[in-house]
Amino acid sequence: MKKYFRELSVVAALGAVLLGLAMFAPAFFQPQPLLSLVTREAPTLVVACGMALVIIARQIDISVGSQFSVCSVCAGLLAARGWPLVLVLPASALLGASLGAINGLLVAGLRLPSIVVTLATMVTLRQGLNLFRQGEFVNMPDKFQWLGLSQSGGQWTLVGAAFALLIVLGLAMRHVAAGRFVYAVGTDAEAARLAGIRPGRVTFLVFIFIGALTGLAAIMNIVQSPQVQPLSGAGLELKVIAAVVVGGVAISGGRGNLWGAFAGLLLLACVSPALTHLHIEAYWEKAIQGAIILLAVVADGVRSRKESRG
Amino acid sequence: MKSLLLRLTLFLCAGLAATTAADSELVVAFLPKSKGNAYFISCKAGADKAAKELGVELLFDGPTDSNAAKQNEIVENWITLGVDVIAVAAENKEGISTALRKAQKAGIKVVTYDADSMPDARSFFVNQATPQGIGYGLMDEAARLLNSEGEFAIITASLTAANQREWQKHIEARLAEKYPKMKLVAVRPCDDLKDKAQSEATALMSANPNLKLILAICSPGVPGAAEAVKQAGKTGKVKVIGLGLPNENKRYVHEGVTDSVILWNTGDLGYLTIYAGVALAKGELKPDAKTFKAGKLGSFEIIGDNIMLGKPFIFNKGNIDQFDF
Amino acid sequence: MSTDKPAWKARLLSHEMLLLYVLIAEWLFFYFTGTTTNRRGVIVGFGTIDRQFDILRHSCEIGLLALALTPVILTAGIDLSVGSLLGLCAILFGKFWHDAGLSIPVAAVLAIGCGAIGGAINAALITTLRLPPLIVTLGTYSLFRGLAEAITHGAVTYTDFPESFLFLGQERWLGLPTQAWLFLLVAVAVWLLVHRTTFGRSFRTIGFSPGGARYAGLPVNRRLALVYVLAGIISALAAIIYTARLGQAKADAGTGYELFAITAVVLGGTSIFGGSGSVHGTLLGVAAIAVLKNGLACLPVVMRMNAAEEMSGLLTGALLLLALTGSVLPKILSTLRPRRQPA
Repeated sequence: MKKYFRELSVVAALGAVLLGLAMFAPAFFQPQPLLSLVTREAPTLVVACGMALVIIARQIDISVGSQFSVCSVCAGLLAARGWPLVLVLPASALLGASLGAINGLLVAGLRLPSIVVTLATMVTLRQGLNLFRQGEFVNMPDKFQWLGLSQSGGQWTLVGAAFALLIVLGLAMRHVAAGRFVYAVGTDAEAARLAGIRPGRVTFLVFIFIGALTGLAAIMNIVQSPQVQPLSGAGLELKVIAAVVVGGVAISGGRGNLWGAFAGLLLLACVSPALTHLHIEAYWEKAIQGAIILLAVVADGVRSRKESRG
Repeated sequence: MKSLLLRLTLFLCAGLAATTAADSELVVAFLPKSKGNAYFISCKAGADKAAKELGVELLFDGPTDSNAAKQNEIVENWITLGVDVIAVAAENKEGISTALRKAQKAGIKVVTYDADSMPDARSFFVNQATPQGIGYGLMDEAARLLNSEGEFAIITASLTAANQREWQKHIEARLAEKYPKMKLVAVRPCDDLKDKAQSEATALMSANPNLKLILAICSPGVPGAAEAVKQAGKTGKVKVIGLGLPNENKRYVHEGVTDSVILWNTGDLGYLTIYAGVALAKGELKPDAKTFKAGKLGSFEIIGDNIMLGKPFIFNKGNIDQFDF
Repeated sequence: MSTDKPAWKARLLSHEMLLLYVLIAEWLFFYFTGTTTNRRGVIVGFGTIDRQFDILRHSCEIGLLALALTPVILTAGIDLSVGSLLGLCAILFGKFWHDAGLSIPVAAVLAIGCGAIGGAINAALITTLRLPPLIVTLGTYSLFRGLAEAITHGAVTYTDFPESFLFLGQERWLGLPTQAWLFLLVAVAVWLLVHRTTFGRSFRTIGFSPGGARYAGLPVNRRLALVYVLAGIISALAAIIYTARLGQAKADAGTGYELFAITAVVLGGTSIFGGSGSVHGTLLGVAAIAVLKNGLACLPVVMRMNAAEEMSGLLTGALLLLALTGSVLPKILSTLRPRRQPA
């Protein structure tokens, strides 16, 4: 119980928000709009899972938004050329993985700080895409929307896929050796090395992994509408990092889990629709999101202070 | 070895410089609010056509995001490059004017299009429709679809974009003046992202069960809102209108999700702007002119120092296929 | 004698010197390729003195933010909130002047005070709760921008500032753009603080090893707090210059500037892990980016591609990667060598 205090407090906060909504804006809980909301967040959840891993391994990746855009546009272009979904999906994941591999190579191979490396790749990818596409929309063939299923079928599939991924990864992080390696590397790379883990390799793989997940998420996003906007991933990195941190994953590595990240994502994702439902003016939105992030980190700080004293 | 390399580089550089000095045609610089925006890309298509017809060189550069500071920097760059004409869609009226006055002082002719600067900072404004005309037009179209009764919501690009605020102001003014039975329930920003517009529209519909219409005043917002309405199965029950390009919205107009899209002919706007700028530089367009003839498009009326493009156009099921931009 | 030689050799190959060579090469390249004579026979483009002054004016705000960030990064911290704080202070400055009817100097002092408070919020969270700066300032990054939007409802733009104030951002004084003097003043002050006072030297000690600094008896928390408050104050200064240059204060002022500033600092050779770096390196980094950006916009080839903005972003990213790789290459090589020898 005490071990999961941090995650439970996020769940409690989320519960409070939902309870407030239930009392003042019960319309929030209509099944169809709620399913739409969750479907819209499904790709973000997939990226957040990857980001949780990266942060647990004591790294950070701020290039995911640009990777997301690049994968979306490339997948859209392939689809428009007539590639079937079964090929576009792995192609996008592969592209994401290779973009992640660049980050991984620089971070793990050359031991460069991940924040600066991914800052550089973020700018480079984003501007490269601008140069290449000049912001033009990509029109996708109709059969791609909802993976060729009906709308509700597609929505359930996407949500199901995101949840399946979350559950598998969440369990793997705890029960599979590879998952525990990530924690080990994030907690103390030198100790991990002495224990026979190769921290460089783990870091490299983690970056490839988040890249692949981002490529996958891009597909999950573009099948939700018939047009791809090259700007689509703008700001995704901050949203995802904020969600993961609010969910109790420590930026200093080695602590936190995917369930918390999931709760954090839900909490932040609720802010905007909650404001709409409570009829609060939009211009408070950013300030509230900032306040939530700060509250979460303050909670972390207070707790770790108590621990170090007690 | 080193000196050889150096000489080689210098030689190359000199060669490059020489090639540019050889061009002696007029140089017209064309500044959009943001470069990646489909709206301005379609303006540029018209501008390119005009530049070709007139035999001038066209420079096209702008911020990749709508950013007033960057617009100034680009204009100042063009001043030192010594272009002949600068055509600007101003992100911020006062902000850009300081740079434009400087350009005029340097002997560069300045015209504005799409969004005006301060009047003293340019010679002519190519007026595609006044903010009032746009705001009133959108509001009237919304009222027509709803029989002047019911709730509606606005999706805007961002809370800080100047033109969006301006249009919204006029929409609200028209609402207060003419349509007492209509109610604006919410204004939500979508950051110029289609995906976010979709999420916002979904939330708007479930939060306001009586919502009858979504009015999107930025071009990614219209297809985003339409997709949300379609997915919510509310086609026909919640109407979508907005400012947007025909190509991005054709699909939804045909499906009956989007009722109408309002816009002027953006290609013509770019074309007319370039013609006006070049005529100004050649001294063919005088400050007191009453009409102006722009190539294949024929004659345009000038009111004061505004060259009028004509009324905004309403695209709907009947006519949208005739346009490709 | 023999011990001297490697020292000056090392100095000539130091990061700052290498960056200086790059800067000079860049400048010369653009000078020769970006300068042309236009059809009226006037020399135009990169080589004109006007252009050089423009470059200086355009880089003042980002330069100030980079100066603010240098001490922060030296202590192994980071401040993502400087751009947002610039926006908030610009708005508050406009509000004090326009809505509260205060005079420009009073409004400016108050705005700078608000910048200090903003920095103090970061400092308090980082030092008293020992939270990671990255995440604290990510929170305040949202919060400050959000407050700026909430205060103005996103809509209000403060304009019509008096001529005497706009002089600061748009005119020249004693031959240089007015704001450049302010920028130079801050640069010298920060340089002296970091390089010539024991106080400032402690930043590097803290960045190198906070634990060690503590054992050495340094008041680590107080020093850290000072660094963030200073960053807040300089951000507010940048806000005032920004307002004067554009003649307007709006909630979106300075969006994305933090990334450019961080890029400049890192390019300037300051280690993101803290402990090493220099203020003059940062200045060179700012200059390298500014020259690249403005120079590209003068190149005929790039102009015809309509891609100045994208190209400069692309090349800045590449330059940053190159600088990073270059900085670790000797280390990597030296770890490789011993492995080879036994074989």
